[in-house]
Amino acid sequence: MTAASGSAGTRPERPSKAKRNLALLGAAIVVVLCALTVDVDPAELARLPVGVGLVFHEMFLKSGPEWSYLPDALRYMVESLQIAWLGTVLGAIISLPLGFFGARNVSSGLVSNVMRQVLNAIRAFPEVVLAIAIMIPIAGLGPVAGMLAIGLHSVGTLGKLTAEVIEGIDPGPVEAARATGARPLQVQRWGVLPQVLPEVIAFWLYRFEINIRASAILGVVGAGGIGFSLQQALSFNRFERAGIIIIVVIGVTILVDTVSGWVRRRIIEGAEARTDAAGAEALGAEGAAS
Amino acid sequence: MTAVTSPAGHRPARPRPSLAVPIGLVAFAALTWLSASEQFGIGFDLGDIIADIDNGAEIIAQLLSPNWEFLPRTFERMLETFQMAVLASFIGCAVALPVAFLASRVTAPNLPTFLLDRTVLSVVRAIPDILYAMVFVAAVGIGPLAGILALVFFNIGVVAKLLSETVDGVDTGPIEAARASGANRLQTVRWSVLPQVFPNYIAYSLYTFELNIRASTVIGIVGAGGIGVLLQTQYRFLAWSNVSVIIVELFAFVLLIEMLSIWLRRRLV
Amino acid sequence: MIRFENASVTYPGGVHALRNLTLEIPDGQLMVIVGLSGAGKSTLIRAINGLVPLTEGDVTVDGVSVRHATPRELRQLRSKIGMIFQTFNLVNRTTVLNNVLMGRLHSAGTLRSLLGWYTPEDVEIAMQALERVGIVEKAYVRASNLSGGQQQRVGIARALAQEPKIILADEPVASLDPPTSHVVMRDLQRINRELGITTIVNLHFLDLAKVYGERIIGLRQGELVYDGTAAEADEHVFRDIYGRSLTADDLMGEAAPTPAAL
Repeated sequence: MTAASGSAGTRPERPSKAKRNLALLGAAIVVVLCALTVDVDPAELARLPVGVGLVFHEMFLKSGPEWSYLPDALRYMVESLQIAWLGTVLGAIISLPLGFFGARNVSSGLVSNVMRQVLNAIRAFPEVVLAIAIMIPIAGLGPVAGMLAIGLHSVGTLGKLTAEVIEGIDPGPVEAARATGARPLQVQRWGVLPQVLPEVIAFWLYRFEINIRASAILGVVGAGGIGFSLQQALSFNRFERAGIIIIVVIGVTILVDTVSGWVRRRIIEGAEARTDAAGAEALGAEGAAS
Repeated sequence: MTAVTSPAGHRPARPRPSLAVPIGLVAFAALTWLSASEQFGIGFDLGDIIADIDNGAEIIAQLLSPNWEFLPRTFERMLETFQMAVLASFIGCAVALPVAFLASRVTAPNLPTFLLDRTVLSVVRAIPDILYAMVFVAAVGIGPLAGILALVFFNIGVVAKLLSETVDGVDTGPIEAARASGANRLQTVRWSVLPQVFPNYIAYSLYTFELNIRASTVIGIVGAGGIGVLLQTQYRFLAWSNVSVIIVELFAFVLLIEMLSIWLRRRLV
Repeated sequence: MIRFENASVTYPGGVHALRNLTLEIPDGQLMVIVGLSGAGKSTLIRAINGLVPLTEGDVTVDGVSVRHATPRELRQLRSKIGMIFQTFNLVNRTTVLNNVLMGRLHSAGTLRSLLGWYTPEDVEIAMQALERVGIVEKAYVRASNLSGGQQQRVGIARALAQEPKIILADEPVASLDPPTSHVVMRDLQRINRELGITTIVNLHFLDLAKVYGERIIGLRQGELVYDGTAAEADEHVFRDIYGRSLTADDLMGEAAPTPAAL
């Protein structure tokens, strides 16, 4: 067989896959160990399909979900939405300035580091923990506690995301603003904010979608919303009612996700279109002037 | 200022301001006010909160001084959390792989399958992990099995969505090459698509592991096993210093996983 | 033998990419297609392995109709046709060898191929293909770490690994610099001569077409406007095909380097 023009190479040795295989083996061992030692009775496993099938049947198939409960279910779901909405608003308002403090290109290194750690610490607490440990004792049982818990947790996530967006901006407009002699706050307002606002608002909306799920959860610990109603239904074995609640949760969540997703896309597209248009305009102006 | 010698253009008419922003602001204000009001919403009153704030102060004080002697008693449940997280991530991420491929226009075999998969995925994602946990507890009884099942569904929702979006963005060149050489669909996905998305897949899987650890606080409350069970008993007894030990433990655990994930991702890319 | 019979391709937007093409390509020929962008070169090539379906007429490969082939027959057909792309289309994250082995996917069983358990015979074929293009020493290197020219040679090796009867090359050198372009074209030429594989190449540069093409066909707006030897194809012919006078962009400019220089 003729070798081609160029080097007549020799076949290299096959690189060792030992490390990779060792790692895979280690992972496999961990998984198997967990499977063997977890407190699950093989008999339970055997009964699994029947158990799940039965519940599913009771909820949706036997006599259909409990449609008469629909208005109440919707009312609870709306309460969850309100909790999520207010929590997100609260989180958004507080996280915006904190995001600025947490951005390395806006605040000094020390301040931004501290702020980022604080935000990480807040993020680490699931909303439920915040709710039961802090908010319920303060505000008592009920939706306000849920809203505060969600708000506080959201500050953590949104703050971090906002800081990251701010760190990613184009320094040009900021320099330009500074060059005009604007005060620091004005520089942030006019040089930084316009660049980051569309993306940040998109994050707020996305957070709202996630918070709806969180607020359903909070109902279970007494912070209002649909989680509570589902828990009641299940503990009294009212499966048809549980069925309708689940349908409401799925339907409303998908609806809100779709609307929110649409609005988010419009915001981002709007921002991109404006930057494109501005760029095109600038080029056009140059062309006309030359 | 001297007159400009270049031809003077007409001043353009001021463009009509878009309605989007005012509409957005009005909608926002309305939703917020309605939600907060007594009648239609949750009845949020800042005054009430401020009045009750010292309720919280004492509890916060307790939370800030963890009772370390409680630590050994947490190990059994933490181990259970770990086991549940591992198994749920393993099963959930494995199932999510084909689901993700069917949910992307790039790799789905035909339109009906794609739409069906997308719809199912939307439904699966619309249910929060706790609701899954409650239903599974009703179905198979309390204990980690219900928790694992709940987390599996939760993981599938998260990973399949993220992965399908990654697949949507792959370079289609290698796919064309595979098709042109006579490879079938499965082979094409395995060799032209999977290598491109694999690092992301691993990152998402590790992410679910972290999510599972965090979620275990919550699903335990409804009886689905894990550290949440212990958390609930402690806070029922108002043993806040014990609660804070659990919280610190979880925090450390999650931190460890995040570091592991970063290390692993660097090795893989 | 590849035969087009009144083949037409009209895209949904109304664009006539190929009009009434009737053409015969005997086995073992090295045929070059020239024409402006959008003249139908890519469409013609992709019609041969069915990547672009015909809207009228037919194209047959060794008597098998591409248009009426079942999915299975189509895959069978494609396994005998190797394809080389302008953008190489390698899987960047994986090794050169794995990329070349993709040429063996069709003959490997589905289970084996999914797990990556290629038979030693398959690996041997892949290695030989790499040797034929002269980069076997890079077998375990990640594809993205190679230069453009090297990546294209991997692409050729991948096609060779199929043990094809036909090789289609869609602008194989458009992304490469002149010296590398000559190396790649020379490889294609050598493979055509030594292995007797029918080779069909789309080329953008007319001087390159004249040097390497046995037979040159010209397309203009989807129609076959020239079919002749490289010797007959002079400036007038090319101007006819392009429908305009030639510019510097139509020629690569650099002559093939002598073997010593390489």
